[in-house]
Amino acid sequence: MLLTPQSVELLAPVGTWDVLEAAVAAGADAVYLGGKRFNMRLHRTDTNFDDEKLAQAVKYAHKHNVRLYVTVNNLISDRELPGMRDYLKLLNEIQPDSLIVQDLAILQLAREMNLTVPLHASVMMNTHNEHAIKALMEYGITRVVANRELTLTQLTLLKERTGIELEYFIHGDMCVAHSGQCYHSGVVFGQSSNRGRCLKPCRWPYQLIDSATGQAMTANDPGPYKLAVKDMCMYSALPQLIQAGVCSFKIEGRMRTADFVSRIVKVYRRAIDRYIADPTGYTFDMDDWQELSDYRSRDFSTCYALGNPGASSIGYTGEREPRFFSQAVKEADVATATSIPVIATSSLEASAARPRPQLAVRVACQESLASALENGATVAYIGGEAFKPHKPWSLIDLQAAVSLADKYQAKVVVTTPRITMEREIGESEQFLKSLETIKPHGLMVSNSGMLRLAHQTVTIPIQTDFSLNLFNHLTATWLKNNGAVKATLSLEATYEQIAELAKNSPLSLEMIVHGGIEAMVLDHCVPSAVLEGTAAYPCHHLCTDKHYSLMDSAGERHDLVIDQYCRNHILFAKDLCLLPHLPALLYAGITHYRIEGQHYTPELVGKITALYRAELDKLTTGKTYTFDKTCLDKLAADSPRPLGIGAFRYRISR
Amino acid sequence: MHHIGILQLTQNLDDAVRGFKAGLSESGVSAEFHYVNADGAVNDLPQLAEKLAHQQAALIFACSTPAAQAAVQLPGTIPVVFTPVFDPVGAGLAKSMDKPGGKATGVAGMVPAAAKTAFIQELLPAAKTIGILYHSADSNALLEVNNFKQAAQTAFTLVDLPIAKPEELSSLPDRLIPELDALFLPIGRIIEENFASVAYYAEAANLPLITSHAPNVPSGALGALVSNHYELGRACAAKAAQILAGAQPGNIPVGIVDNPEIQLNSFAAANLGIELPPALLKKAAEVFE
Repeated sequence: MLLTPQSVELLAPVGTWDVLEAAVAAGADAVYLGGKRFNMRLHRTDTNFDDEKLAQAVKYAHKHNVRLYVTVNNLISDRELPGMRDYLKLLNEIQPDSLIVQDLAILQLAREMNLTVPLHASVMMNTHNEHAIKALMEYGITRVVANRELTLTQLTLLKERTGIELEYFIHGDMCVAHSGQCYHSGVVFGQSSNRGRCLKPCRWPYQLIDSATGQAMTANDPGPYKLAVKDMCMYSALPQLIQAGVCSFKIEGRMRTADFVSRIVKVYRRAIDRYIADPTGYTFDMDDWQELSDYRSRDFSTCYALGNPGASSIGYTGEREPRFFSQAVKEADVATATSIPVIATSSLEASAARPRPQLAVRVACQESLASALENGATVAYIGGEAFKPHKPWSLIDLQAAVSLADKYQAKVVVTTPRITMEREIGESEQFLKSLETIKPHGLMVSNSGMLRLAHQTVTIPIQTDFSLNLFNHLTATWLKNNGAVKATLSLEATYEQIAELAKNSPLSLEMIVHGGIEAMVLDHCVPSAVLEGTAAYPCHHLCTDKHYSLMDSAGERHDLVIDQYCRNHILFAKDLCLLPHLPALLYAGITHYRIEGQHYTPELVGKITALYRAELDKLTTGKTYTFDKTCLDKLAADSPRPLGIGAFRYRISR
Repeated sequence: MHHIGILQLTQNLDDAVRGFKAGLSESGVSAEFHYVNADGAVNDLPQLAEKLAHQQAALIFACSTPAAQAAVQLPGTIPVVFTPVFDPVGAGLAKSMDKPGGKATGVAGMVPAAAKTAFIQELLPAAKTIGILYHSADSNALLEVNNFKQAAQTAFTLVDLPIAKPEELSSLPDRLIPELDALFLPIGRIIEENFASVAYYAEAANLPLITSHAPNVPSGALGALVSNHYELGRACAAKAAQILAGAQPGNIPVGIVDNPEIQLNSFAAANLGIELPPALLKKAAEVFE
């Protein structure tokens, strides 16, 4: 690859006009900014551009031969769709050089509206495999802002396999969790990180505790801020980054000042220009490095670029955290008032004629599967992530599961992991082929790449999981057009938002109503990093005989469950329980219900399944319905975690 | 043409800078501005102040107490105009409000406690017991707490709710006694930036929040009586114009907030089941939905 000055784009964040001028003057090749509507930085309204300023900014940038990208990287609700159409129309008129998008609905809209502005996939799309990139390219995506968990080697591979332009965060604030897959702020505060309002629970102090004893693991504790990622800084690895074939080097920080942005742009500008002019003669500039270091907010890490950084990427002491956005709170428990309306069962009578609601249960093992089927599950989900100590389902196990389900005239749907990087994708390609002989009743996928791969490979019905962030009916349309026959609702949507979506959806919608719910998914292994100060390797398999949890300052215990790929999944402190609200959910038109039972014993899976089955059947047989509150108390007593109501405390998710 | 340095702590206060520039231009002062911003890093301020001194600033406009202190501590005689400093005398920036005596003057940003008390009475006429939630290690917060206690003690039963460190907000419900009718949040960074957690618990307890930090109103506080930073900047410009014309800063009295503005949140009001008084709605500078 021969380098030219066009090989690399230095991309700067812009929150205000001052910063725009400063970034251009400092030598940015491109800038990105948000409008007042639909973008990821909505906390600070003064750091976004109104419509008129946007148009001026595009003109200003173009006059200086600088490209300008507008972030439209929010999930949108059905109610916001008309506003989004108007906004896209306006953006198409003012012609920035691209729109950086998250919601799959925008892809659908762009096609419908014949938008001519190129589209870039936001980091919030969590694009991390070649099939996802190909799926997006078919919808006019010309560039992908790659996952921050990808290494440079993986980036090179993706580029070679797809030909896509890759943009990568090279400097600034990072998330510890997979982007677009973090539901902590949205569910607890009703302010979603997928809608520009993250309150950063990853910056709370936590104790690591032994789940079995409740004892804090205090020996060698590096400090309370166990998830507080340092700032990304790729200055020291710039040659590797350029040679990896990443075309756009993105600096984070749309809330930063002109001075701050200008300083960073200048330092990287100098290094990039020196390298491209004379790669073999390039040397690391100690003074520039010192300047970056002197003005840093957090300490620096190269994060995942050169491999999983483990403990070295966490600022455990919290000393350099520039500010906090919230403190831990007690999650809403099952007695908290919800915004779900109370529906008189008389209004449900007409529904008695409808088919029996489907009840799906996700299980971790054969015993739980049997228990779910025995107690009235019509669908069982198996496979995908196996949380230790459970083992992954072997092909023989899957075959047995399908036979068992046939006995109950129920369905077994095989699931696939939420994150599928090249290892998981390679395994999946082989796995999907073997489904031809196993013949499960369906396949559930968790990202757009797996959807595409599945659609090309299998003939059984395909459905999508919550991780596709289904928040509006156009996203459902996109999923349908790409091969899905059923979709799971976002965990962050509230009753009002779900009801509107259900009314307009072209797909059957499934709703998760009970179980252990994941707040975050991390490639960072918390116990290894905290207890041994290591990265993923060498791993001493601390998770084989012990389970861990994170205890926050509100005394809430978040269980850490670890899958076969060593990803850490952080559960909410309270399991979702919507048992008392089934009348309202039926009234909203929800006919597919799911219990996330993979973190329960087979016995508890049976009890919960039976309970939901009985309530749903009572509600749909047209008999007078009363909810017996005592069953809730029994359920709470049996559950490994207290019961809560997720995001349903809120009328709308902001 | 005057070289004027602007020493900013955080861009949250940039409205004051805009008002300052507008005010100077209204006064017919032509100026070249040198703007530096510590982006929240208080420790960087002395270094940034020196940078302005090197640029031959004829005057420094300093936003926030630490910025003003950094500018005043520069060797030499560069005059300093500050805002929204809450306690100019306590912070050592002025000997007295009427005659600051040194090389600095400005406009204090604290809304008088009596005005806040009257605002709360008008907003929540039935309220009897008010909790004051503040960070006990924050001197500005302590100052406002004292002022508020003096001004409001006859109007309300006051309940002191100090927190020593931010994590204590996690157990706030344990301290919210049932008698409380509202919470008053004095100024102070710890409460302001962790406001979401305060609002989370206050909503669950159906407690209205009266804040002193304007950005907390759109985030869920019921209301605030706050200074308008743009106007503070304009008032500072008038003082700067006097200084540039030859007046001694030490002889120019420090101004106070004379026209605080009302901000209300009607979404929060609806959630609380409170009807916002029409008279207040009429007077409000901003009503968030």
